[in-house]
Amino acid sequence: MEATLPESGAVSGAPPRTRVARRTRSRSARDAWVFVACVAPNVALIIAFIYRPLISNIYYSTLNWSLGDRYATRVGFGNYVQFFTGSDAGTILGTTAIFTIATVGGSMIIGLALSLVLNQRLIGRGFARATVFAPYVLSGVGIGLVWTFIFDPTTGALSDILRGLGLSAPNWFGNPHLTLLMVIIVYVWKNLGYCAVIYLAALQAVPVDVLEAASIDGAGAWNRFWRVTLPLISPTTFFLLLTTILSSLQAFDLLYIISPQGYGTNTLMFATYYQAFQASQAGYSAAISTILFAILLIMTVIQMVLIERRVHYR
Amino acid sequence: MTFRPGVRGLDRRAFLGLTGAVGVGAAVTACGGPIVTKNGSGTSSTIKPPDFSGVKPASKITFWTDNPGSSQQVTQQIIDKFTAQTKIQVELVTAGSNYDQIAQKFQTARVGGGVPDLIVLSDVWWFRYYLQGSIIPLDTALTAAGIDPDDYVPTFFNDYRYGGHQWAVPWARSTPLFYYNKNHWRTAGLPDRAPMTWEEFSEWAPRLQSVTGRTGAQHAFEYTSSVNTPAWVDQSMLWGEGAALSAADSFKLTIDAPEVVSVFQRIQDNIRVHKWAIMAGSNEANDFSAGAASATWGSTGSSVGIQKTATFEIGVGFLPGGSKVRQPVCPTGGAGLGIAAQSSPAKQLAAAKFIAYLTNAENTVTFGEATGYLPVRTKVDTAALRKANPLVGTPLEQLARTRSQDWARVFIPGADTAMTQSITQICNSGADVHKTLTQLQETVQGLYTRQVEPKIS
Repeated sequence: MEATLPESGAVSGAPPRTRVARRTRSRSARDAWVFVACVAPNVALIIAFIYRPLISNIYYSTLNWSLGDRYATRVGFGNYVQFFTGSDAGTILGTTAIFTIATVGGSMIIGLALSLVLNQRLIGRGFARATVFAPYVLSGVGIGLVWTFIFDPTTGALSDILRGLGLSAPNWFGNPHLTLLMVIIVYVWKNLGYCAVIYLAALQAVPVDVLEAASIDGAGAWNRFWRVTLPLISPTTFFLLLTTILSSLQAFDLLYIISPQGYGTNTLMFATYYQAFQASQAGYSAAISTILFAILLIMTVIQMVLIERRVHYR
Repeated sequence: MTFRPGVRGLDRRAFLGLTGAVGVGAAVTACGGPIVTKNGSGTSSTIKPPDFSGVKPASKITFWTDNPGSSQQVTQQIIDKFTAQTKIQVELVTAGSNYDQIAQKFQTARVGGGVPDLIVLSDVWWFRYYLQGSIIPLDTALTAAGIDPDDYVPTFFNDYRYGGHQWAVPWARSTPLFYYNKNHWRTAGLPDRAPMTWEEFSEWAPRLQSVTGRTGAQHAFEYTSSVNTPAWVDQSMLWGEGAALSAADSFKLTIDAPEVVSVFQRIQDNIRVHKWAIMAGSNEANDFSAGAASATWGSTGSSVGIQKTATFEIGVGFLPGGSKVRQPVCPTGGAGLGIAAQSSPAKQLAAAKFIAYLTNAENTVTFGEATGYLPVRTKVDTAALRKANPLVGTPLEQLARTRSQDWARVFIPGADTAMTQSITQICNSGADVHKTLTQLQETVQGLYTRQVEPKIS
């Protein structure tokens, strides 16, 4: 049976168990305040710079509002209806899907292939690793500008090479499919170094004894890779899939520099910018970015729930 | 160990602190964003020209520019002279690298704070600022600054008139020109002049194309790249055929009219059927300077750059006329200066005085010498300008034949970029011209209905 606590003070007269309980509660309260003091600044920043804009954005998506205008009208779900019933939705969602699948697939597959090569004992391996990773740390704007010169159909280096080979130089900037292809090539070139380096770290962590055991059991190079290495690096694959999808869906700098009008490259992210700053439709832009947010959220949840089950953590 | 924050630790002081924090958070959340009204009312039409009687100019103003024509140095020199004379400091802020970027920053600043007092505004942006109530009508400011509107080139000045008020003053103004490579012209046996009409050029172009093996050119002509707002110059071809993007001085769209379709069909045929033209990949002026195209059209603002980089003799001429209208078929372009509505009257007055100085007869020539832009005043001595830029004579003479642009392009927010996309589809993807222009008309009509009509009706 628990002793009755005195109103105040007289702790010294209380039984030992009660004193311990009170001290524990006091420490809990103190810990709670320490926790609040440590966490509050970060939570406040997250609220101010993540959740508040997010909520504001959802609110703006219900307005017919021209950016910079002091006045707006409420349109409810009008902007969403406009997006899904207009010609925009098919083009924007299609472009987004193609760009995301191609860049994520390209970066990961080529990155894995490169990491397998870079994991071998080769002369100049360190230099090769640095070279592969270098584009990832370069500025997207700078890369975009350089590749714009390279792809220029009249005076570009690539056009000169093609003409030198007797081939005609395509107008990369004039055909929407070619413009999208051009942006995908540049984006994959820039980002595959990231995938290669992460995969390389994962490959170096694969236990050699497991691979040797597989060899002794008669597994060839392909089987060792497919049945041993790939499952063992699946947590890395899962991590890369998650991060590269999120990164591709939010890609903007390269798209803007290479095709400032969004011709052929009008992804959800670009359309958000274009509608707010070029077409001055801030409300409509907010609706598109809310749709992008919903897609990112759904894809992340799907990946966390479904795909992670297939990942083999050691 | 499980962590359980207890309410017992929350005393009165802590409770008040938390309440205060929540209050501040709520206040922050409530900040920003537009005022929601039933019909989006509250436009510039409700803003009256400020009364400057008794107002003394401020001692410092901020000027946002994108330094058109690489003008930072010459603008700063003019500012220094202005400050020495008036003691008014002008802080020159490079707020973007082109008109769109500066416009984006200005619109964002309108919401977030920190707007400048004076801003550069291009032909397709100033009307948006008017609709948003971002700029003031300048009528009283011009009077207070001693500016005589009659001193300005009328087409340039009148470009910024709407609703009986003046909303900006011309500054870095330009017109398009026809540029040609005299060496290629000679090789093809053509007379040393620009074509008088597009019909004439369509006879010359195959001859130019047939000698590309000797000239090194790839095409006889390059149309404006999608990066450089092709609709601006394309209006010239439309006007030559008696067509337009919208009826004169109105928002009645005529983008899908048969005459417009016919002009764009001809452009598409020149590229895809006759193959003597191409839409520039990134910059037609650069391609022309490199000798890759025998001719192109472009802003007078490009003339200084072309002369610096080209290694051949350059010819310039008026934009060719059409089968129905020979002149005027030259659109005005470039940028003007506007004063922010959020500035104090003292700063607005100081900004107006600076506009008067920056665009006076002497400085408009100094600016033109350095950049290639045209003088915006009528009573100017162009001798120095002609000496600095031998090509400037033609655009100066062409000034009398300019025409203000169609409202469909310059007054409807986002219309120009929509037009760029459609023109690119027509030129490069072989899109059905009629279908594409019908779709464009619907798009631009939608932009007008949503963004312009509620504000001006």
